[in-house]
Amino acid sequence: MSRPPTEDELVERARGGDAAAFAALVRDHEEIAFRTAYLIARNAADAEDAAQVGLTKAWRALPRFRRGAPFRPWLLAIVANEARNRRRAAGRREGLALRASYELPSGDAAPSPEGRALAAEARAELVAALEQLSEDDRTVLSCRYLLDLGEEETAQVLSLRRGTVKSRTFRAFGRLREQLGETS
Amino acid sequence: MSDLERRLQSLGGEIAYPPTPRFDVSFDRRPVRTGRLRPLALGVAILLAVLAGVLALSPGARSAFLEIFDLRGATVERVEQLPPVEVQTVDFGERVSRDEAERRLGFELLDLGEPDAIFARGDRVATLVYGPVEKPRLVLSQLNGAVWDGFAKKAAGGGTRIEPVEVNGERGLFISGDEHYVMYLDENLDIADDVTYLAGTVLLWNRGPLLLRLEGELTRDDALELAESVE
Repeated sequence: MSRPPTEDELVERARGGDAAAFAALVRDHEEIAFRTAYLIARNAADAEDAAQVGLTKAWRALPRFRRGAPFRPWLLAIVANEARNRRRAAGRREGLALRASYELPSGDAAPSPEGRALAAEARAELVAALEQLSEDDRTVLSCRYLLDLGEEETAQVLSLRRGTVKSRTFRAFGRLREQLGETS
Repeated sequence: MSDLERRLQSLGGEIAYPPTPRFDVSFDRRPVRTGRLRPLALGVAILLAVLAGVLALSPGARSAFLEIFDLRGATVERVEQLPPVEVQTVDFGERVSRDEAERRLGFELLDLGEPDAIFARGDRVATLVYGPVEKPRLVLSQLNGAVWDGFAKKAAGGGTRIEPVEVNGERGLFISGDEHYVMYLDENLDIADDVTYLAGTVLLWNRGPLLLRLEGELTRDDALELAESVE
């Protein structure tokens, strides 16, 4: 039985014009691409548009993609840029909503109803504090923690130097703590 | 990891994102670039006088690629004959503050010290000008090459030298000798009709996702030294 193609192989085929290989690549990353766009544009329609246009641009720009470089941050950078453009143009923003059901980390005992209510309240406070941050602060924290991107990947996606991501994250945390009324 | 970091990370799994749409990725097989340029709309003042005696142009002429050099954000091509486009004087775009340029482009500008003026062309290219705007000593342009193939450069004949170089371990090209065309590509990788101009000595290089372009009366060594000092 033949093994499935690796990402590098798919990228190489897509660089050569193989649209099916590109589609296979995209399927692996379309959810995080859309979520990245959503966290920046903060509007589902704009995020969908940004991701779709970003994917199209990525397809066209693929011959310029550097061989051996990681594909995901390159793709996310294109989508993030589209999302920023839409956000600037639109100016409207949806608040972040939390899922109704909260899944406990495995191994945790089921909390009491009061405990559950307190945890929900703490999460809502955290979201509210996040919403009060500047766009730059919120975006870097969103990439690093909500999307769980690494420092280097965040730097690539936001077109920042790695040191800038580090310092901006540090400062953003300070301001988030202030919003939460915590001392660092 | 601090408690707040853990809480934030955990929050990532609790966000009610809208459902991810099924994106349309049923693209056609990408056409192979043949080196043919679509006819360019006319609409700006012709500066053919500048070209007379330098370039042999004929309307409708098409030229084959002789050499292609790719960087992230730019393609440099040596062609048999330059395409029949209208050449403009340089237009850097709108003069803006550094903050505004960074806001538009979405990244922090690199520089060689405080510039005399900063320009932004839409949200794609920022240009730092050193010296008088009318006759700059140095021009440093930058764009996100991961996002946009911004520049196409075309050089004809042996009068223009195109040398691959390294700047801080990343790829670059030093272009010197005869002037060459600089064109901007739009999002369809077509040449934007309204921006084509002649350039002299230029160093183009990648830095992470960025493409930087330094133009001035520079030797190769001076250009490389300056490029390595860009922060």
